[in-house]
Amino acid sequence: MTIEVRNISKSYGPTKVLRNIDLTIESGELVSLLGPSGSGKTTLLRIIAGIEQADPGSGAVVFDGEDVSGVDLGRRGIGFVFQSYALFKHLTVFENIAFGLRAKRRRERPNEAQIQEKVKSLLELIQLGSFAQRYPSQLSGGQRQRVALARALAVEPRVLLLDEPFGALDATVRRELRSWLRHLHDTIHVTTIFVTHDQEEALEVSDRVAVMGHGQIEQFDSPQEVYENPANAFVFKFLGNYNVFHGRAGAGSFVRPHDIAIFREADGGQPDARAGVVSHIGFGGPVVKIELEGADNHRVDVELTAQAYHELKLERGEKVWFAARRAHVDFPLDYSI
Amino acid sequence: MAGAITAAVPHVAETKRAVSTESPAARRILISITVLFLTIFVVIPLINVFNQAFSKGYEAYLSVFFPQRPDPDAVLTFSQKRRLAEAAAQAARTWRSIGLTAAVASIVLPLNILFGLAAAWATTKFNFRGRALLTSLIDLPFSVSPVVAGLVFVLLLGRNGIWGPWATKLEWPDPFSLHWVGFADGFWPLAFGQTHVGIIFTPLAIVLATIFVTFPFVARSLTPLMESQGTDEELAALSLGASGWRTFFKITLPNVKWALLYGVILCMARSFGEFGAVSVVSGHIDVNDTMPLRIEKLWNEYNNQAAFSVASLLAFVAVITLVAKSIVEWKAARDIERSD
Ligand SMILES: Nc1ncnc2c1ncn2[C@@H]1O[C@H](COP(=O)(O)OP(=O)(O)OP(=O)(O)O)[C@@H](O)[C@H]1O
Ligand SMILES: [Mg+2]
Repeated sequence: MTIEVRNISKSYGPTKVLRNIDLTIESGELVSLLGPSGSGKTTLLRIIAGIEQADPGSGAVVFDGEDVSGVDLGRRGIGFVFQSYALFKHLTVFENIAFGLRAKRRRERPNEAQIQEKVKSLLELIQLGSFAQRYPSQLSGGQRQRVALARALAVEPRVLLLDEPFGALDATVRRELRSWLRHLHDTIHVTTIFVTHDQEEALEVSDRVAVMGHGQIEQFDSPQEVYENPANAFVFKFLGNYNVFHGRAGAGSFVRPHDIAIFREADGGQPDARAGVVSHIGFGGPVVKIELEGADNHRVDVELTAQAYHELKLERGEKVWFAARRAHVDFPLDYSI
Repeated sequence: MAGAITAAVPHVAETKRAVSTESPAARRILISITVLFLTIFVVIPLINVFNQAFSKGYEAYLSVFFPQRPDPDAVLTFSQKRRLAEAAAQAARTWRSIGLTAAVASIVLPLNILFGLAAAWATTKFNFRGRALLTSLIDLPFSVSPVVAGLVFVLLLGRNGIWGPWATKLEWPDPFSLHWVGFADGFWPLAFGQTHVGIIFTPLAIVLATIFVTFPFVARSLTPLMESQGTDEELAALSLGASGWRTFFKITLPNVKWALLYGVILCMARSFGEFGAVSVVSGHIDVNDTMPLRIEKLWNEYNNQAAFSVASLLAFVAVITLVAKSIVEWKAARDIERSD
């Protein structure tokens, strides 16, 4: 199902949280809303779900060409997964997942055998087949997360909305669930929007990323496009670490740490190489983070692959040369995050 | 009031296990002080109630409620007859007070459950202007002396009160006089056998005064839990297509059931035991006596043994309440822990 957000604004009292948001999500897409804390991601997601209402007089939320702005939360055909999971504490995993099926109006309600079958297949899908009779308090965070997802999927929603689905989980579980979600989406193809403030997660999982800042969509593109051709300094800065080199014209040149090459020799093939001293080496597994101290104490962060690091055999206090392989030069400098 | 139950503000939220850093000696002293204090002020008076009630023996205790029937063959002197009639009248009054107390509680409880749920829901699940004011208004009965509350009702609804002209003429049917009259004269087979006029100095005033002193209990025992639970579960239920009613009965209510029961127990205990407010609005008329008022009258008539016998009923209810309360409190605390 296509989702169109047309010119949506939202204020809480005097503060404008969303400013004229426009967003069109194609049917079957997996889209992430990425942005720093307080940028309005949750608010936008809740307006799409119908939990929150946009400012009166502002635009509309349109599902498949139908304006659903006035439609109740329960009638929009959405599956919403809360950051807190919001599992029903007093119900078993089975009953949690069955809740939406049992709540259907009599005419649409499946019979008990169908409910059993449906819930069982969902339990298989989330790989918790033997956990049906447990209570949410007896599950781990990642398991709760999957139950919440299964509960939302049980009613066969037209859209799946996930608010920081992996926010409360540790790094390993996050990564596992992330690729699991991607696989799930590849099997069921339900239009999905998920909120995250983790750049890596958004870039890795989604078909397209909507980068949000200050209540606006700064850029809406494929992960590669967003990362390689950021629309503005905000997007560039939000998507990763960077160094700023001051150019002559007052414009800055922004360089990612992994876009800097280090040379042993002054003439390492790069005419504009500058000199620096290795002031710190941080070993981080596949990448090694090097801190260089350039001229006039200007600090430069460099990321090398472990292999390049070993080939160079760098040591602290050594003098080396470095140069940018690739820079973004077209942002005005005063744009702050 | 020996048998009156004074229910404190519920503290369901504060049942975290204590971590002790004191030396064993300090701990022993603190525990001894607490036990000593409780013994002097709770255990001994409680035992005394039963002691006094049974001071003239088991027969005398029972005769407070079930007076001796005169033997139809016996020849009695005039004073003997008078004493028997007097005892029967006293017992009838005692039974009426027990009946009235139960009736008042049975009206007050459902109303307070409804009010408490609505108030707790409104103050925890919605954000609106004046919410803080509303929350502190709910606590008002805790800070107002019940006697003053009773007086306010008299001043409002009494003969010279602001609403006096209306209130003194109000006619209301006694709900407990509802009885079956059959279909002989109409479609509706039930009728009220008794109506009352006015509010103050009638059982209706007692109901009003009791509602006033007991309404915070349910709301107060629900708010901490509802606050910590937030609205996510309800929103999740609604997003899955459940109706508002279904969401309330399947999600909200089960989540707060122990806290609700806890509030109901406190509310019931207080409505049985309330003295001050009820005393003022009862007008000291015998038919308006609740159990605590009845106890006071017996006491004032130097009928100590009878007074303590009635008080023993309240004390018995208090002990049962205490046990029920501890069980429910434990369950409610567990709900709060789970919602963290
Ligand atoms: N109920 C509310 N009342 C007032 N302000 C609110 C309310 N909800 C959100 N806000 C404000 O709206 C802004 C956007 O909030 P939102 O929750 O959408 O941010 P977010 O992007 O989801 O942030 P996070 O990553 O921290 O979850 C914030 O500045 C927040 O303070
Ligand atoms: Mg958020």
